[in-house]
Amino acid sequence: MNNAILQINELKTYFFTRLGVVKAVDGVSFDLRKGECLCLVGESGCGKTATALSILRLVDSPPGRIMGGAVMYHGEDLLQSTGARLRQIRGNRIAMIFQDPQSSLNPVFTVGDQIMEPIRLHLKLGQRPARERALSLMAQVGIPQAKERMKYYPHQFSGGMKQRAMIAAALSCDPEILIADEPTTALDTTIKAQILDIFRDLKQQKDMSILFITHDLGTVAGIADRIIVMYGGRIAEAGSVLDIFDRPKHPYTWGLLNCLPTISERREKMTPIPGVIPSLIDPPQGCIFYPRCQWHMPVCQEKRPEEFVISGEHIVACYLHK
Amino acid sequence: MAIRRISDIFGGRRHLLFSGLLLVLLFVFLLDLLVIDHIFGPFVYFYLFFTLLIIFYGIYPLYVNRRLTRYYWERTKRHRLAVIGLSFIIFLVAVAILGPFLTQDPTEVDFPNKNLPPVGFSAEQAIYDRNTGNFITTETPGTWHHPLGTDDKGRDMLAMLVSGTRISLQVGLMATLIAIFIGLIMGVVSAYLGGWADNALMRFTDIMMTFPFFLLLVFIVFIFGPSLWFIILAIGLTGWTGTARLVRSEALSLRTRDFIMASKSLGASDRRIVFRHLIPNVLSSVIVIATLSIPGVILAEAALSFIGLGDPTVTSWGLVLHAGQRSLDTAWWIAVEPGIMLFLTVLAFNFLGDGIRDAFDPRSQV
Amino acid sequence: MKRGGLQNYIIRRLIYAFLIAFGVVTITFILLRIGPSSPADKYLANISARTQNPARVIEAVEARYGLDKPVIQQYFDYLVNLARGDWGWSFSTSLPVIELIRRHWIYSFQLILLSMLFASSLGILIGIYSAVKQYTRTDYIATFFSFIGISIPNFWLGIMLILVFSVQLGWFKTYYDTGLPMFSLANLKALILPVITLGTGMMAGYTRYARSSTLDNLRKDFVKTARAKGLPERVVIGKHVFRNAILPIITIIMFDLAGVVFGGAYLTEIIFGIPGLGRVSFNAIFANDYPVVITITLIGAMVVLLTNLTTDIVYTWLDPRIRYD
Repeated sequence: MNNAILQINELKTYFFTRLGVVKAVDGVSFDLRKGECLCLVGESGCGKTATALSILRLVDSPPGRIMGGAVMYHGEDLLQSTGARLRQIRGNRIAMIFQDPQSSLNPVFTVGDQIMEPIRLHLKLGQRPARERALSLMAQVGIPQAKERMKYYPHQFSGGMKQRAMIAAALSCDPEILIADEPTTALDTTIKAQILDIFRDLKQQKDMSILFITHDLGTVAGIADRIIVMYGGRIAEAGSVLDIFDRPKHPYTWGLLNCLPTISERREKMTPIPGVIPSLIDPPQGCIFYPRCQWHMPVCQEKRPEEFVISGEHIVACYLHK
Repeated sequence: MAIRRISDIFGGRRHLLFSGLLLVLLFVFLLDLLVIDHIFGPFVYFYLFFTLLIIFYGIYPLYVNRRLTRYYWERTKRHRLAVIGLSFIIFLVAVAILGPFLTQDPTEVDFPNKNLPPVGFSAEQAIYDRNTGNFITTETPGTWHHPLGTDDKGRDMLAMLVSGTRISLQVGLMATLIAIFIGLIMGVVSAYLGGWADNALMRFTDIMMTFPFFLLLVFIVFIFGPSLWFIILAIGLTGWTGTARLVRSEALSLRTRDFIMASKSLGASDRRIVFRHLIPNVLSSVIVIATLSIPGVILAEAALSFIGLGDPTVTSWGLVLHAGQRSLDTAWWIAVEPGIMLFLTVLAFNFLGDGIRDAFDPRSQV
Repeated sequence: MKRGGLQNYIIRRLIYAFLIAFGVVTITFILLRIGPSSPADKYLANISARTQNPARVIEAVEARYGLDKPVIQQYFDYLVNLARGDWGWSFSTSLPVIELIRRHWIYSFQLILLSMLFASSLGILIGIYSAVKQYTRTDYIATFFSFIGISIPNFWLGIMLILVFSVQLGWFKTYYDTGLPMFSLANLKALILPVITLGTGMMAGYTRYARSSTLDNLRKDFVKTARAKGLPERVVIGKHVFRNAILPIITIIMFDLAGVVFGGAYLTEIIFGIPGLGRVSFNAIFANDYPVVITITLIGAMVVLLTNLTTDIVYTWLDPRIRYD
């Protein structure tokens, strides 16, 4: 499989807080392929956002620091490249969208100005052509009366419109990769569906690679090609959509799937995963999930499970499948 | 057990007991003022009032809520600068109370010993020679009799600084107390009554805020004359606006908070809501703003005295500085020493205020 | 958000400012009336050495100032005269007060303007830099010095500057030279010590505000967005963070005018002998020249009022989130 355009190897990102070192990302490896939508799924605090931020080295430092690993993009390790080189890639080749469109847009500049920013920076366009391009982008992501709304400030936009504007800004330089960190979490259900449609179109029409991060497996089902389930800063299970939904192997994935409402089954079956997310400051020695796992064995307490290959690209980090 | 019983009596009828003692104090004060003719100055009564206030509404609640007290102290303690500030303030209070008994009379003029430098320094001085009728220049060293030197009239600098400490603390505490008291009442009343009364009170606050603070102070002192009492009153009566605004906005946000809604729905009276819920909850911000406004008040009084609009009968730091500016080329220490005291005092209150603010702010992790 | 909304807002602010001005004037009138000595006494104190018949003087002064009329009548006369620009006659300088103000305001203005420029530009720069370098040695040093700057009494700082730079080193004159032309390097040099005296405290304050305001904004998501767009740090801080961090500071700078700047300028003018309005008011106080003292107090309040009004209006342009209702 050599159509991977982004390879993450053994990425480690730690946060140095007053209470101790939080190993938010602790040895994560995966590939992102051309034209696919890869979903990172997990509860809050599992390290999915830290993983996404580490790719473009956007982790706040202090307290965060990328401790090791590599992010290979066209044969270049982004973790080693210079700041200037990285800025040529950010927003240009790899773009990113954040969770809360409310706070992701700067309140004191017009939306148009913020969409035009990367266009003028990377494509070196003048005011006029940049405006033209921003207008067509806004129309493309479904912002009506774009000409008028260019001059609006973020507070004059609704939540869904803000997220569309964020997507327009991210798409402005035709990036190869789009990283979307919970782009639909802060939105209403109907708006969420519309935004997901935009992502689906992007993938199909522009052959863009999307790294989609969410805590909600339900959101993922419609757009993902492959899914990576993260837990406690590590990969618990990875595989195609069918692998994860039809043949899940990790007890944590079972738990996540049990949380999903379904039409056919009755509500009583929706069960939350017992226990709480462990503190990553002082994680258990063995498998991080074993305190919450109904199927844990003695070996789970002693040693971290490595990733076992089930079939093809379906891997799982659990001793049940050794 | 005994302690608990005392605190029960004390706690249950605290406000009543306090009001009673206050009435007795007022009666004695009026008696002194009108009948016996000023045995004690008004300051003595103010101190008594202040002590009562601190015991009833400071020390007693702190004692009853020991756990909370310890919690806040732990949080304040982690601020090293706040502890240094507090230690210096305690030192100043000790100096203000005990100092005047240990030092010379700060008003005693002694021309032969004028412009003496502090110990460890020496200064050139022109001395009139009675025999020849000429001025001769001599090198005068500082002496232990006047460890901080003397001013241009031979008054002891140490004694003057000690007297100034007393004045500055008096002004700082009393004027702040008056200002905070007015601000608290204005803010709570405004927030609680709302509507028309709120509008009127806040517009009045806006008008008062439009006056430049120091200009208004100078204007009032110009009209009413420069007595220390009056200056304290003037600062108190002009400096309440910030507190009023803060208390009002805090009280407004509290009013819609669940626990007040709950107690309202349980049929609590307005008076109970104001005294049991509103005031105690805005008190922490009031303590912070009080600590942080003391330095401004001390500086205002010092500035007034410095330009010659202070009470000329009391030896305050500003007055000494005023004298010092005239003798900058002959005796630098007269201007330097009171300024250092003023600077350190203001710094100490700023450190402490910052520490308390962080301690009371649940969001800060110190 | 529409044009009409903005216009209405400005008109409402103007009416409000007018009402506040009315309140300010009323308060000075009340203070004057309840004060223990009447203007006649003040006038008398001023010329008592020269007169043989104090009773006649009092009568004359009372008639001149309408003090024999009913209080309400006096109040209206007071309002009307102030509004007409008839601010009275300065006893001590034998000039109309308005003429006195016209001759001296520029000295206060240049001092305050330069000090505010010095304090705000340097303070905001240091504050932002300190926030960007949070928890570094630079940050600690800046925080420490801002604490000292806030606590140092400005009039004492002025005296210390004179002691060191004028008396000991002899670099500057101990007194401001009024003979210098306004727009000259020599005048600028003469204003160095006064500007430092007045500006240091403000600068330290702005450093602290700018630091905390920048820290607040550095943690916001839009900063991450700006970085994710590939913008250089210079633009991220200088455009995205700066425009947000500066908003609360502008309010504080304008607010300072009432709280700190005028008081500080008053003292600075006295220390350095700058013949601005503070110095004029100071001289008038000791000459019991009360029309001058009142007028300068009122001018201070009016300047504060106008700056607040301007700030409110400028804000609608700086912060698009402001609503006009």
